Amino acid sequence: MKKYIAFLFLGIFAFGCSDLEEHPVGIIRPENFFKNTDDLQAAVNGSFANIAHNNYWGREFTIALMLRDDMADIGDRTTQAARIDVNDMNMNDTNALVANFWPQSYIIIAAANQAIAGAKKTPGDPAKINAIVAQAYFTRAFTYYHLVRIFGDVPYIDFAVNEVSQVDKLSRTKEAEIYPKIIADLEFAKQWLEDKPKVKAVPGKGTAAGYLASVYLTLGNYQKAYEESKFVITNEAKFGLGLDADFQDLFNATKASTLKEPLFTIDFNNLVSGNYGQDYTAFFTGSLKDDSYSYGQGFSVAVPSLKVFNDWDKRDYRRAVSFDTIIRKKTGPGGALQIFPSSDNEKAPRPHIAKYFRFPGKAGANGRTSQHNYITMRFAEVLLTAAEALNEITPGTTEADSYVNRVRARARNKAGKLVSFPANVTPGLSQADFKKMVIDERRLELAFEYVRWYDIKRLKNGPEVFGPNGFEPHANFNPEKDYLFPLPGTELAINPNLKPNNPGY
Amino acid sequence: MFTNQNFKSLKWCLLVAFLLVNIVVNAQERKVTGKVTSSEDLMGLPGANVYIKGTSVGGSADMDGNYSVIVSEKNAVLVFNYVGFQTVEIPLGNKTVVNVSLKPDTKNLDEVIVVGYGTRKKSDITGSVSSVTAKELTAYPTLSAEQALQGRAAGVSVQSNNGGEPGAPVKIRVRGGTSINASGDALIVVDGFAGVAMPQPSDIASIEVLKDASATAIYGSRGSNGVIMVTTKKGKPGKPVIEFSNSTSVQSVNNKLDLLNGEQFVAYRKSFTTHTDGGANTDWQDVIYREGMISNTQLSFSGGSDKIRYYVSGNYFNQNGVVINSGIDKYTIVSNLEADLTDKFKVGLNLFQSKQNKEGIISQTGAGGTGAAGVIASAYRFMPDKGIYNADGSYTTTAPIGDDIDNPYATAMENILETISIVNRSNFFASYQITKDLNFKTTLGLTDNNSQTGRYIPSTLIAGKNIKGEASINNTRFSSFLTENYLTFKREIINKGILTVLGGYSYQKNKNERAYAASRGFLTNSNSYHNLGAGTVYLKPESSLSETELISAFGRLNFDYDDKYLFTFTARRDGSSSFSENYKYGTFPSGAIGWNISKENFLKDNKTVSNLKLRASYGATGNPSIDAYSTLSKFAEVYDVSGDVIVNAVQLTAINNPNLKWETSYQQDYGIDLGLFDNRISLTADYYKTITKDLLFNRPLPGVSGIASQLQNVGELENKGWELGINTKNFIGADFTWSTSFNISSNKNKILKLADNKDLLINSTPGHFLATDSQILRVGQPVGSFFGFVYDGVIQQGETVLPGNFETIAGGEKFKDVNGDGKLDSNDKTIIGNPNPDFIFGLNNDFTYKNIDVNIFFQGSEGNQILNYTLMELASGNNNATTEVLDSWTPTHTDTNVPINAARTKRVTSRFVYDASYIRLKNVSIGYSLDDKVVSKMGLSKVRFYISAQNIWTITKYPGSDPEVNYLNDTNSRSNTNLGLDYGSYPNVRTFTFGFNLKF
Repeated sequence: MKKYIAFLFLGIFAFGCSDLEEHPVGIIRPENFFKNTDDLQAAVNGSFANIAHNNYWGREFTIALMLRDDMADIGDRTTQAARIDVNDMNMNDTNALVANFWPQSYIIIAAANQAIAGAKKTPGDPAKINAIVAQAYFTRAFTYYHLVRIFGDVPYIDFAVNEVSQVDKLSRTKEAEIYPKIIADLEFAKQWLEDKPKVKAVPGKGTAAGYLASVYLTLGNYQKAYEESKFVITNEAKFGLGLDADFQDLFNATKASTLKEPLFTIDFNNLVSGNYGQDYTAFFTGSLKDDSYSYGQGFSVAVPSLKVFNDWDKRDYRRAVSFDTIIRKKTGPGGALQIFPSSDNEKAPRPHIAKYFRFPGKAGANGRTSQHNYITMRFAEVLLTAAEALNEITPGTTEADSYVNRVRARARNKAGKLVSFPANVTPGLSQADFKKMVIDERRLELAFEYVRWYDIKRLKNGPEVFGPNGFEPHANFNPEKDYLFPLPGTELAINPNLKPNNPGY
Repeated sequence: MFTNQNFKSLKWCLLVAFLLVNIVVNAQERKVTGKVTSSEDLMGLPGANVYIKGTSVGGSADMDGNYSVIVSEKNAVLVFNYVGFQTVEIPLGNKTVVNVSLKPDTKNLDEVIVVGYGTRKKSDITGSVSSVTAKELTAYPTLSAEQALQGRAAGVSVQSNNGGEPGAPVKIRVRGGTSINASGDALIVVDGFAGVAMPQPSDIASIEVLKDASATAIYGSRGSNGVIMVTTKKGKPGKPVIEFSNSTSVQSVNNKLDLLNGEQFVAYRKSFTTHTDGGANTDWQDVIYREGMISNTQLSFSGGSDKIRYYVSGNYFNQNGVVINSGIDKYTIVSNLEADLTDKFKVGLNLFQSKQNKEGIISQTGAGGTGAAGVIASAYRFMPDKGIYNADGSYTTTAPIGDDIDNPYATAMENILETISIVNRSNFFASYQITKDLNFKTTLGLTDNNSQTGRYIPSTLIAGKNIKGEASINNTRFSSFLTENYLTFKREIINKGILTVLGGYSYQKNKNERAYAASRGFLTNSNSYHNLGAGTVYLKPESSLSETELISAFGRLNFDYDDKYLFTFTARRDGSSSFSENYKYGTFPSGAIGWNISKENFLKDNKTVSNLKLRASYGATGNPSIDAYSTLSKFAEVYDVSGDVIVNAVQLTAINNPNLKWETSYQQDYGIDLGLFDNRISLTADYYKTITKDLLFNRPLPGVSGIASQLQNVGELENKGWELGINTKNFIGADFTWSTSFNISSNKNKILKLADNKDLLINSTPGHFLATDSQILRVGQPVGSFFGFVYDGVIQQGETVLPGNFETIAGGEKFKDVNGDGKLDSNDKTIIGNPNPDFIFGLNNDFTYKNIDVNIFFQGSEGNQILNYTLMELASGNNNATTEVLDSWTPTHTDTNVPINAARTKRVTSRFVYDASYIRLKNVSIGYSLDDKVVSKMGLSKVRFYISAQNIWTITKYPGSDPEVNYLNDTNSRSNTNLGLDYGSYPNVRTFTFGFNLKF
């Protein structure tokens, strides 16, 4: 019997000698993740993935940017109050859009910071590692560039957060101190990124230079803005850039992969994983009551004022690409589609934005989860930036005229048919007239492409464009307050060091 | 481990041995024979002890209770005794046949109670423990033993998470919720195997609920929510006993909501908006409700020899729910074997296997927006002026009113939601009596729970239309390995002073695996979810693995002096792999003292007080709800597209927390056990106070960290309350007996501390309500407090309306300016209700008259409130409405609290908070046992028929469908905070049952 007992006791020791260390198999740990450049690329991709997210470029950030300007107004005024408040200059610190895209901005930055920290641990050819991590420097700069333009002073984090105590008491860094850091990141990116990445969703040298030009333009450093945009234009072919022949193709999801014009795209492909890969722009801009497409009606959230449409020269092909003036209803025999004027949508009886709703590729219900590869910056913008900057340095150059003329020439290609509108720039415009012309060119060429609000902010022409003669009058526009968005109140409550909020909030 | 039954059978074995040595037949002596039976059921008492008073001559009864004794003395007195029955002495005279019927001993103090890693005599217990008997558990048919616990034990609250849904999870809270974000579920221990699924009620011999820290600290880090000790039935030596039982129940919906009919609905809609009459008149509740049915069949075999005992049973439970297309069936097999290899060496094996198929319907949806409404919610919402089908044969939807949803019939019949759950469990034990005082026991258990949920959303429904059907399969697997090894030492160390020491070690390893696959775009709906490859769009597959290890050392020391002074010290040290780097091990001690006053000389012979014991305990227990790997920093793979191709992408989703600890509950308990009049009246009362510290909380992090939240130890919670249990034998006669048991308990829950003591708002409203908050966590208030505006009636004509009041027209809703600043804004939101009851109670009465037995069981809850989202939705205009709107304000009908008909924002206000107190006749049953003589002629040993009814009578003022309701209770954080909510739950049911038990 003793031997049985010995056996039993043996049993105890055979089982359960453990150090209680966890050995997660199905989980990736940052500590030992960076083993090669593919791992590093995956970490960088984490930042791209979070740009292509419901809370950022897919929905919450872009709808705010689109509505804030004077080109897109609220269509259906029963839509979410937060959207109306952004559009109507009525925001407060509880705004639901801000509550989503503020933390999302920092998730993108955190992913970039993780990759940048991880690069130091990644073994391999330093040049190759730098070429990959330069993408993370770019996304970090890209995101801070949006943050400072939206919020002004914000907390600046350029390290991988490993403990909560590193960030929970941070105060805001001055906008003026953040810009040099954005420029430094973009300079690093410009140095190390590939000349011509395989896809437009990966930034290249030209992308970094294009964004440098934009940053300098915002800062009013026209010399540098000109130099950087000129650098892109000079190396156009080398960087795989240029203007695409047909303006419509830029907004056709099925042609996205053939385009050369984008400097950087946010790619969606009709599949989602939770909020990743979820986009709503077609849904927001399409018209209610419009059964033209298999994916169903839009929601008429962002609809330009009638004045925007009426003011736009009807000969301009870009107006036809930018707007839908009809809706189709299944009122014909056997449910056949019949055409009605856009005014038949009584919630928003106006022409609707067509750039996203017309050709979203394969899309889910109401045009959400499209296949758009949203263009964050395209070559036409670089040309217009170069033109604007050069006009500030040396007014009246034919070089500046030529950049605008390239953009207009392309607009004259009306789906393969050459038309005469818009004509070339009248040579010899005064500096002021040229500036006015080029800003308006940006407004039309880049309509609903998230550029206009930043132009208004940088030119500080809010009182004028939202004035009684503007496209979208907002009598309550307050230049002391409305150029900046409020930081989320919840964030200030968690970390009082961020107080006070922006003026007026 | 000794159970009540083992203990009896062990004693029986010893007696058999005793008998064998003692039978010496003497020709001069006469033989006395007879049968010893129980007065309760007239069944023979196998192993009853029969001896001649003053001698050691005697024997014990056989399997049927028959005995024979050789008697030589003339004036002998025969003594009959049996554990749990009153001892009877009968002067023999000249009789040679003596039949005796023993009455159950009302002094059930020597009942043996299962505690962690052992048993204790009830009279020696120092902690707070409630017992529930097999009889109570099987009083009416239930799918799970958890359900059968309702109302049976003081301080134990039991609620279905989804009304009368077949297979709905059941939530048990012992002495309130000790947590906010961590699990509040009690630890379930089946035959010594911790953390496993409960067996069928009919296979359970007894359940003990360990409530105070003294009782639960032996389970250390898992003890703070109470421990439910389940002992399954075991075989007894003797002739095989075959039992067969069957019951059939019919069920119907307890209560329907009074909704508008087609005509009323059209008139209602037209009173405030344009509406095209759909022309039909459909009662959608009638469409989806039906008569439900349960059939429950059990066959068991038990018995054994003096060396081997067995219990084998099979059970089949089948239920058709009261909502169309819902049901469940479950097969269970239990096999318990025990063998005595030698006098000292004993081994045993408990096997459990079950397979459950659940045919589900969609209910309690988290959001009921476009195409997403549950069956029950849409039966309430859907327009009654529409029929099931459109003219073209397609299903009707609510378009164009509100969010477009499918009609409830389509939702119930077309959606496929099937869950198959399989549990396999085996638990081996061996014990060895090393010396007279020292016993060693080891157990080794394995359990494997597999579950597969298959789902198909067909293209005939809104949600499946554009995507041409979506199919998914989700597989989960939980497996656990456990070994426990412990020594028990028991010896009288000083005169009258008995020391019992338990010391042991255990190791448990759990593994969770999951795999998920889904696709869309099917040519046909007929493949359901069984051919994922036939889809054209493959959704992202998912899989995961997590493992945890728990290593523990535990010990308990009992010292009983003269049965009067009782001391218990318990401690457990747990080390868990999921605990953080700096807190891998936690120690959980407790101590208790008991004083059996009734054993003191001054009370010993008291006629009134037969038992009086005082108890006090204090200790610490834990709640380890820290998921595997949750203290580590983590990269998660996220979805990313680059150039239309999906690429690998990772992001940081968690920052490591090297200091995360388990929650610790510090509980004090003071109890009194009182028995009066020979324990005809016995009473147990307890007062307790539990403070839970280091609450596990997902603390929101600054957005700039890039991480939404982190699990941290913040906050403190208090639960205090009292419990009272009274058992009375009101009448004990030869033909008629009546006994009553009553329990009542009150628990007050209060938040003592939160992160920075800031209020935390919780939103539990269905997603499509687009509301932002509905409950609040606030220091000084109970968890689950409802938060919103105070409804102040209807705006009357000419009345000045508060600035900011949402409606301004006469007849509109008016709200209170709570902070008195002259305007209505979000600062006027306040606590508008408390879902926690003042007390809960159960009242059970048992009557027997000859062969007839009657059981009447009431159960209830008092003082709790419910926030009813269903009624909130039905009052919002773009749905069907309750008949309440027939009393709505109009310029000519102004004396009402129901606002003017309108489409309204669904707003959390006190208007939808209701008193949900209730008293419910939970069970009435009448049983009849055939007379023994008839039964034995049939070759049986017992036949009992019964009919019973459940939930047939309820007193409540609650206007919703049923006061026993829950909404979205399925995750840890929700199960603690989402209390007293009602939205689209599966209806509760009333049941009529006919059944019979046969014993061979």
